[in-house]
Amino acid sequence: MNVILSIARTTLGEAIRRRVLLVILLIGVLFLVVAPGLEALSPRQESTVLRALTLGVIQLTSAVIAIVLTVYLIPNEIERRTIYTILSKPVQRWQFLVGKYLGAVGALGLMMALMTGTMLLVFMLMKQNQLDQLGELARVPVLFFAQMALLAAVAVFFSTFVSPIVNFFLSGGVYLLGSVFNSLFESFADPERSDINPLVRGIAGAIQFVIPNFQNFNVQNAAINQGTAIQSEAVYYAGLVGYALAYIGVLLIAGILIFDRREV
Amino acid sequence: MKRKVAPLIAAMAALFLGQATLQGTTIFPLWKKNFAPLRADLTGLDPSQLLFAFAGFRELIAGILWVRADAFFDEGNFDAVLPMIWLVTRLDPHQIDVYATGMWHIAYNFTDEGSRSDRRYIPSAVALGREGARNNDQTYELFFETGWLYYHKIEDDYPEAVKWFEQAAGHKDIMTARRNLLNNVYQRNNEVDKAANYLYGLLEESQERYKKAPNEFVNMQNRDTIEQNYDNLLVRMAQRGYLAKKEGYYPSWDYDTKPPFDVGFSAQVTVIEPRVIKIVGTWNVLPVGTRIRVVMRDADYPNAIPAGMKWYQGENINLDPPKDRTFMQDQLFVKNQRFNRTIDMGRDRTMYPFTSDKYVIEFYYNPRQAPAYIQDKFGWNGEGMTDKNFINNEVRPGNPVVYTRMEVSRDQIERRGEWKDVAPVFQTKNYAGLAPTQVDQGVIKVPGILEQPKTQSAPSTPGKAPGISANE
Repeated sequence: MNVILSIARTTLGEAIRRRVLLVILLIGVLFLVVAPGLEALSPRQESTVLRALTLGVIQLTSAVIAIVLTVYLIPNEIERRTIYTILSKPVQRWQFLVGKYLGAVGALGLMMALMTGTMLLVFMLMKQNQLDQLGELARVPVLFFAQMALLAAVAVFFSTFVSPIVNFFLSGGVYLLGSVFNSLFESFADPERSDINPLVRGIAGAIQFVIPNFQNFNVQNAAINQGTAIQSEAVYYAGLVGYALAYIGVLLIAGILIFDRREV
Repeated sequence: MKRKVAPLIAAMAALFLGQATLQGTTIFPLWKKNFAPLRADLTGLDPSQLLFAFAGFRELIAGILWVRADAFFDEGNFDAVLPMIWLVTRLDPHQIDVYATGMWHIAYNFTDEGSRSDRRYIPSAVALGREGARNNDQTYELFFETGWLYYHKIEDDYPEAVKWFEQAAGHKDIMTARRNLLNNVYQRNNEVDKAANYLYGLLEESQERYKKAPNEFVNMQNRDTIEQNYDNLLVRMAQRGYLAKKEGYYPSWDYDTKPPFDVGFSAQVTVIEPRVIKIVGTWNVLPVGTRIRVVMRDADYPNAIPAGMKWYQGENINLDPPKDRTFMQDQLFVKNQRFNRTIDMGRDRTMYPFTSDKYVIEFYYNPRQAPAYIQDKFGWNGEGMTDKNFINNEVRPGNPVVYTRMEVSRDQIERRGEWKDVAPVFQTKNYAGLAPTQVDQGVIKVPGILEQPKTQSAPSTPGKAPGISANE
């Protein structure tokens, strides 16, 4: 465990010093700070739009950071040959991979926490929200974090066998597919639609279970539009975290199996 | 190595099955119930917007679009706002304000030079309100907004107004003043008993609230307002003979609604220029403020009913109303027992295209729309109102109204062909010009008891076009 934590710590330190990530983060934070300067809408519209924009900025920036951060994790170590130094020590490959992933997720968490803090500060300064409403707002980035941790696992998995550029597009593609397919599936699964072939419906259902479903983590609508009734909220969030952990486990094990066979 | 791989693969398979089970049994059903987009129809988004929307940024795109729409509002670029409202409600169907603003915008803001709303849009406003209420049934707001559209703008389908206001009032989050309004809607729908019972219930509730917190000013104010409204209603029920009718002794006693007052409606329409009509006429009601509806539309306008149309025409939010159809609706303001209005439809050719061969001009007065001081004489349902020529019990079953129509050809409204130099004139058969007291401008004449309106004389007979018959 110490080995994994050491690698994670080092990865975290490296990640938060990378300029490209800091620039992306800075742009995200700047957007969050200037968002309240929107043209005046009615008070509720202003609040709704501001929530939509700030949460959207956090999600978008986090997705970019998650992919950019993780696609270089393994290839950089191989390219710089630092991996030889590490693997020559009593460090197993799976420990290296898991350590790198946890370090990346830690860095991601720090950056997302900074953006979330900025968002809450902006809302507090604007005195638009009571404390409980801020709590509701803060819950959304927590689920975004679970979503981005899953996305990072996808990128780490791909980084064990493809180049960073290919990985960038592959991970981005999986993110889109995982977001898009749920909407399409819902459309296909609509029992009122008689134009859908049962075979197509079955295939759509099967694919839904294979591709990581990122849409599940988009729960911001309830926080943006106050008063939306949510049923079994705690069960849903608990299930979602379990889902993310299970899928991250699948991806990391698959990555370990590939990385074990890779010549470095 | 083999010893290591097998447990890993087994663990991976177990985790994979675990996520699939969670997805199938817990997450997807709950996601569908709580967070799934209510409308998957995103046609109209450009590819980049579509990509963002599908990638989980629906609310972000909706927010950006709505901010942009607000800027267009400020610039008065209303045409640009419409598609944005449509898109935002599809991207984020929980944006209550966008639905409410959209309905108001569609129903009220597309006007001609004379500030007359383009009524061709109203079915879309109704559809938008219904969709908004369906997508946001946890709050009263869009039920109220849809009811308000029927009550205030459409003013001609009070059963629908009642239905929507009742649904709004059934929500716990409704504002007190808005909930109280249901009593007015009941009255307009000629459900006076229901209005009285409703007010009584509200009064009891408000008294309870007042007892619990007598120092709250709003509680006292609300109780007093409801009490006053309830008192007024009871007095009106007595004075207008409503209670007497119920009990069967209406014929035996005098009430404010007896004898029925002859409103003496007559009208003359002259096409003074191409697409410009001048309407003059009589209306014997003395108090200022009566507004008689005038409609000019294609004779075969789809879904038309006398002096209106079926405002609910399905769930399609068509933001591009029929460009080849004309539907003008205005109010004739009565002063000194007469009305005189010139309506210019030549400046707004997109709103009044006049592409059909035949048109109708309709006059309509519904006592249910009258203010309380007029209803004190006319009654809630026109029992104190009559007209020698134009009382009609058929165009609105159960609701007597004043109604008449005239037919106009396209050549006549365009002043072309044989009508190029002859102004077409249409008039009701009883039209006999205006009395001298009715012609005066500026000052409102209020005759005393000895100066009741006399039989109208015909100081000047307007040039009646050959071949044009008066219509009833």
